[in-house]
Amino acid sequence: MRKNVIQLLARQLWQDAFRSKVMLIASALMLCLLLFSAYSGWENYHDQNFTRDEIQDEVEESWENNPDKHPHRMAHYGSFALRLKHVLSVFDMGMENFVGNAVFLEAHKQNTVNFSEASMSTGLLRFGEVSLAMLLKVIVPLLIFYLGFATIARERENGTLKLLIGQGITRKEIVFGKWLGLWSLSLVFLSAIFLVLLFFVLIESHDSMHTDSLLRYVVLLVAYLLFFGILSAITILVSAFSATAKGALVKLLGIWLLFVIIVPKSLQAMGFYLYPTPSKIEMETAVEHDLAEIGDSHDPNDPHFKAMKDSVLRVHNVENVEDLPFNYGGFVMSQGEAMSTKIYLKHQEDLYEVYGKQNNLERYSAFVNPYTAIKNLSMAFSGTDFQSFLHFKDKAEAYRFKLAQEMNQLQMDLIPNKGKEGPNTISSDYWKEFPPFEYHFLNISDVFKNELISLLALVLWGVLSIFGLLRLSTNLKAI
Amino acid sequence: MYSLLFKSFFRTKIFLVSLILLLTVGVISILIGKQYLVKQEKTIAAAQVFQEESIKKNVEYHSEDLGLLLYYLRFTLIKKPQNINAISIGQSDVNPLLQAVTIRGLEAQKYDTDFENPSLLMSGNLDLGFVIIYLFPLVLIAMTFNLYSEEKELGTWRILAAQTSGKAKFLFKKLLVRILFVFAVLIFLMFLASAMLQIPVNANFWAIFIQSVLYVMFWSALCFWIVSFLKNSSFNALALISIWVVLTILIPALVNNYVINTYQVPEALDAMVEQRDGYHEKWDLEKGATMNEFIKEYPAYKNYPVPEDEFSWIWYYGMQYMGDFAAKNTSAEMTEKIMLRNAVSEKIALFVPTMHAQLSFNSLAGTDMVSHLTFLKSLTEFHKNLRQGFYTKIFDNKSADSVDWKNHEAKFYEVVYSFSWFKLLLPTFLITLAIGILGGLNLRKL
Repeated sequence: MRKNVIQLLARQLWQDAFRSKVMLIASALMLCLLLFSAYSGWENYHDQNFTRDEIQDEVEESWENNPDKHPHRMAHYGSFALRLKHVLSVFDMGMENFVGNAVFLEAHKQNTVNFSEASMSTGLLRFGEVSLAMLLKVIVPLLIFYLGFATIARERENGTLKLLIGQGITRKEIVFGKWLGLWSLSLVFLSAIFLVLLFFVLIESHDSMHTDSLLRYVVLLVAYLLFFGILSAITILVSAFSATAKGALVKLLGIWLLFVIIVPKSLQAMGFYLYPTPSKIEMETAVEHDLAEIGDSHDPNDPHFKAMKDSVLRVHNVENVEDLPFNYGGFVMSQGEAMSTKIYLKHQEDLYEVYGKQNNLERYSAFVNPYTAIKNLSMAFSGTDFQSFLHFKDKAEAYRFKLAQEMNQLQMDLIPNKGKEGPNTISSDYWKEFPPFEYHFLNISDVFKNELISLLALVLWGVLSIFGLLRLSTNLKAI
Repeated sequence: MYSLLFKSFFRTKIFLVSLILLLTVGVISILIGKQYLVKQEKTIAAAQVFQEESIKKNVEYHSEDLGLLLYYLRFTLIKKPQNINAISIGQSDVNPLLQAVTIRGLEAQKYDTDFENPSLLMSGNLDLGFVIIYLFPLVLIAMTFNLYSEEKELGTWRILAAQTSGKAKFLFKKLLVRILFVFAVLIFLMFLASAMLQIPVNANFWAIFIQSVLYVMFWSALCFWIVSFLKNSSFNALALISIWVVLTILIPALVNNYVINTYQVPEALDAMVEQRDGYHEKWDLEKGATMNEFIKEYPAYKNYPVPEDEFSWIWYYGMQYMGDFAAKNTSAEMTEKIMLRNAVSEKIALFVPTMHAQLSFNSLAGTDMVSHLTFLKSLTEFHKNLRQGFYTKIFDNKSADSVDWKNHEAKFYEVVYSFSWFKLLLPTFLITLAIGILGGLNLRKL
């Protein structure tokens, strides 16, 4: 392969593209969409995080300002965890708007994360959202198909392909020249969007987040580079194997529809059909049932709690709970909290396992649909996938548990048993000492682990594309 | 003439592909609707059993203390599911169809969500509404984009032109054959859905039906218009698919982004915090601070004694009430904002048939935002009635036996539909008419 010939062919593709109206209209449209989605993504990120930050601070302040009181009152007073958006959510909104934003953390009870944007939206959300990533995932692939469908098919229709070969240009040079031309053309859009994104990543420089964000940025960039390379290869291949340019266009449009809309949606629906999930009320009933199996703390004669009491009394060598060196009420509460939390989390894990099965159908389809691979990668590295949400949820639950248990511990240590002398409240200094909820995003190495399949699928598609182009180079028909 | 046109159309590959695609996806979408209804029924049955059993169990434990008993008991209000929901599932997968609430502060319970897989929410349901809005136009495009250009490119146009008197009329008939086929499939699927999902053929069903017909008419007119420019096949395919992308993906998504950003709802989070603080701070205040406000709202209870050094239920439920009271204004503002989002979306949708179709499907099926807000409003009423029903008995320290628990099974709330035919049908009709006329004018030069 001669480098200058390939360059020449690639440049010719550029010239053709810019001569046609499609490129002009597309570029103008893309520019408008780019500006709109960058602005709206940034505004959303900023305003939402500002509001949530503010409320998180407010929550912390009101927590600290509580007067002296019984620690169990504070366990009920509870706290809130507000989900923060990752700076890369400006790029890809992912599931951002479909998962809740705030959760009330209180003793004895795991609340749902409420107030998702979807729950406050009109039916329009069903059409999707415009984000920088959406342009790259949905619109640019279509443009690549538009710009490339004729590359080989039309040359053959016009007879110019025969001429080229007659002039001593090898088939390999033609195929790779066209491919590189198309790919580089798509990179015009890619670089415009990633330049804007780089700006956002850089100005949002919270020291510790900085390297992490940059790293995520680089992975996204590489993934999209690869994705566009694959799409360009598919375009060239379809164009080469179609008798007419029109045929190639229709096939490519069909592929786009399958990849972007029909396959992902049907597989998601099928997953839901194959693996049904329980409703909240059913799960709550199951949790209550399991808790009742172990014992009932309200029943003084319940075997579980009676045995626990007896053993505690025995260990401390006393007759009555009043004589224990710690507050027995606090002890029962902390045991109950640990028990109910364990059971709840077990059921929740089962539920998420079903979600996982539902989603896997689509996830594994990445091996036949490169769009799925990039979709999942894009969300995950933008911190807007389901795993990122679960990470937040886990952290919030861990904080809730810590808060409840810390208050139970304070009750055990500082509140005297019934009938004993002593105060029924403790100093408010203890509230101030308790650290506020702080969220750190999922570690990037974990993101890699979560998205191993998508990465693998994308790389495999890359290899397959090169292989396909090489095969084409040997049996490209000139007429 | 028509029989020939039909015959030649039935012989095309695209006819067979379209027929199979629409029927398969259509039937799948109806099955998905069915599954959705089954899940709803299961949830409701579970909620009814849950409520009955939990009342029975708790009454056993706390029969002496009604105040404590009602601390635990949850009462369910169910938005009675209509089978028509299944045609356009809309927002009803995000918003739960039932809420189980205690008589404590409502604000903290009102917005609790059900469990849903967010990946599924994101990709949206494949309901019949989706098939009509997304797939029907695609099939129309696939069948009509080369209506004229194909004949031209195959060289058959000259022969045809020589043989027929009205060339435009011929094209029109060819188009009509394809449109009639699409309508046949649409009507078949609608009635199949009505039969399989047992949807009563009432005004709402007809409204969805006619709206669908109009919507498909709109796309037919659009295809006709593009064809009337007499360009080549590639141009038509490109142009029509671009229009499809703009109308079914870009514009609605842009409007959605715009609406979400312009009318942000920080009030949701504020109300949540206000409610908690409004309730909890009362524990640390003089009891009078709670009672004065509570009595202002419920003067009938002013003679109940509230000792300063002792716990009393009237004080406790008074505090709970104060939590909702503190969040009342912010909560109302939140509802207003959401209504505003809806109003703005609907207004813009009048000019975009895809959006108009989706929003009107949802509202006719009772799965839109407004319907959910109305449900929340009646939940507030339900909660209020519960509280007021129990207050006297609790404050009088009655035992659990004083309540007839048989009356406290899960309750249903009935959705009330109302819509204006005018607003429903006129926008799409006018747009279709305008585009049809443009196409007709173009064809005069043929």
